[in-house]
Amino acid sequence: MRIAKSGNNGGRRLRLRLRTPLVVLAAAGVSLGTIAVAIPASAASKAKPVVTVWVDSTRVAQVKAYEKANPGVKVVMTVYNGNANGSGYLQSKISLDNRVGAGWPDVVFSEENNDAASLASPQFNYPAQLDNGTVSKTILNGFAKGTLAGCTVNGKVYCLRNDLAQNVLWYNSALMTQFGYTVPTTWQQWQALGEEVATQHPGYIVGGIGDGWDDNIYLWPSECHVNDVVKADTVDINASDPNCTRVSSLLDPLVKDGALTTDNVFTSSFDQSFTNKILMMPGPSWYGADLFPGLVAKGDLGAADPLAWGSAPAVTGEVGGGLWFMSRHVTGATKTAAAQVLTWLSTNYGSQGISPGFPAYVADEAKWTAGQQASGQYSTQLAPVFAKAATEVWSGWSPVPWSVDAVWGSSVTPSINASTSIGSLLPSFASQLTDYAQSDGYTVVTKP
Amino acid sequence: MSSVEVNKSQPSPGPTDVVSPVRNNKEKRGVAGYLFVSGYFLLLVLFGVAPTLYALYLAFTSSGGHFVGLSNFINTGKDFRFLPAFENIGEYLGIWLASLIVIVLGLALMLHSLARRVSAAFRFIFYLPGALAGAASVLVWLFMLDPSVSPWKFVLSGFNFHNLGQTIQPSHLPLIFAIIAFWAGAGGWIVVTYGALNNIPNELLEAASLDGAGVWKTALRIKLPLIKKWIAFMLILAFAAGTQLFVEPTLVSEASLGLISPAWSPNELAYVFAFQNNNFQYAAAISVDLLILGLMCAAVLVFRTKLFEVE
Repeated sequence: MRIAKSGNNGGRRLRLRLRTPLVVLAAAGVSLGTIAVAIPASAASKAKPVVTVWVDSTRVAQVKAYEKANPGVKVVMTVYNGNANGSGYLQSKISLDNRVGAGWPDVVFSEENNDAASLASPQFNYPAQLDNGTVSKTILNGFAKGTLAGCTVNGKVYCLRNDLAQNVLWYNSALMTQFGYTVPTTWQQWQALGEEVATQHPGYIVGGIGDGWDDNIYLWPSECHVNDVVKADTVDINASDPNCTRVSSLLDPLVKDGALTTDNVFTSSFDQSFTNKILMMPGPSWYGADLFPGLVAKGDLGAADPLAWGSAPAVTGEVGGGLWFMSRHVTGATKTAAAQVLTWLSTNYGSQGISPGFPAYVADEAKWTAGQQASGQYSTQLAPVFAKAATEVWSGWSPVPWSVDAVWGSSVTPSINASTSIGSLLPSFASQLTDYAQSDGYTVVTKP
Repeated sequence: MSSVEVNKSQPSPGPTDVVSPVRNNKEKRGVAGYLFVSGYFLLLVLFGVAPTLYALYLAFTSSGGHFVGLSNFINTGKDFRFLPAFENIGEYLGIWLASLIVIVLGLALMLHSLARRVSAAFRFIFYLPGALAGAASVLVWLFMLDPSVSPWKFVLSGFNFHNLGQTIQPSHLPLIFAIIAFWAGAGGWIVVTYGALNNIPNELLEAASLDGAGVWKTALRIKLPLIKKWIAFMLILAFAAGTQLFVEPTLVSEASLGLISPAWSPNELAYVFAFQNNNFQYAAAISVDLLILGLMCAAVLVFRTKLFEVE
């Protein structure tokens, strides 16, 4: 009030008086700014870049190997559930981080193969684009053909593949010889053998159907269209397709006579019941190093080509595989370091050599397979089987923002446990997938 | 003479019985009362009232902050997971509330008629499971329900359950969650109800027995009507907590590697909307649905039992 009354001159004087401290302050600000800029610049040369990495428990060893090999980068590791089984844990953390504008992990591993589609969507907008120079063309081209398809959203690559999880037919060669069986090459032969096992050797199994990812093991290799993205935002879901129903009519009798167990293979009850009782098991390449040690005697585990449907050329599916993402929110020195962490973990043999999965990065494949072979676990040569299966993965099982496995796990698996036939569950499986697809804004078509 | 002494000499049932006015100390007591309440009040505003108001704001607006009327409620109501989630919770509440009333009251009445020392031992035993926090008690139950590690394996195999997947089939879940809730929560309520029963004047019970009322008649005609308000109070809290079921289905889903839908209960569905679909408006709408349900239940019970009336 007094300022307003002091007239023009007074006002000017006041403004001047005010302005002087402002100038001083501004000058101080500039110099402070310079200091502020100068401090990190000089410190950066000394201090290590800090990269936050989130992994599941299986990947911890790979991160530790990175730390050992790269003392120049400080890694802060967080172990989480790997976003497996449709838990959506990663999505929930990212959406909270998005809300507060901080806290994103710099590098993250996900077991959920659909995560590129989900995380790169405008809803989450989390991963950094990698094929714009963030990761070199040489590295990107070094991945096995087609393996970055699940990482590619609208033509941009958002993640690197950790491993291929191509399904093969695992079997216990000692038991097969002892029982006088030959390894089947088609699903029909496999089923007939399963029926035989049920009567001749009850208690032995030819596979499992108690997990939330069995859709990948049985429906995917049969070219069953339940998540086939035919064009942008349009998905083909048709569980009454003969490619789907032939699977249920194949499996239902085996579940009934116990040749196909409803125990989850990763539970202690499975270990108790089926140590040395697994005759065959269709499953991903990583079962060899991750599931079977202890269940199948050392030196008895054989791997055969994926089963075919009759005379049709064999196609196969995948269970997981794992994706490495980098945050789009990292900048400066951390960004360079994060890109290096990402690349090292997914391509360097120091990391891939200790991963239970068949590397997606071609240069590591031969060495990894040789390493596995040297473990003495296997009775057959892995390299030709894995290499062939890697090229046979059917492309009609698309990455989508919802988890097909979670729907299978919560709607089909429990009912199989309650002795409901798989055939009668397929329609509700399809209708739930349709609900998820529609709530994610997809148009659902049913192709004959 | 403090109000506590007044209560001791003139015990009367009901959670509101502390209000025995002692006029000459009114002012002093008023200040102390406000002081005592202030800590709770502050936290209530910060973590109870403010989030509720924020949820109400979110539930009626779009992500851009525009008023959208009831459309968030209608859209969530149309979601394919909405009805099953409420059906699940309805089944669960039916079992949980019925067992709460019948068994908790039964056990409390039994304790009240037992000799003091025996009753104290039983109260302690009943309360023990309640000492475990929610998540821990679910973990205990995961072990109990998995036939491969359960100490009650023979019971489970009697029901033909040979793996966790068979035990936790969808149709079993409401019962399983009700058992977990009962195991973890009933002990506390038994102790509270026992306390309420202790507030019944001895003269009244003696008079009843002189008039020839047996154990059953005393329990049904004298004791129960006198602790009616406590029962209502218990039901209101149990109903609100029950509709908000979250930890149990979430942990069981995680432990069974996804054998339960991630949106089994309405609260889980809200969580899915908020954090997997990034739709906080829908999540808020479901939370408001649950709030309205809880308030409706409370209103019915408050008016029916005249819970807030002071004798």
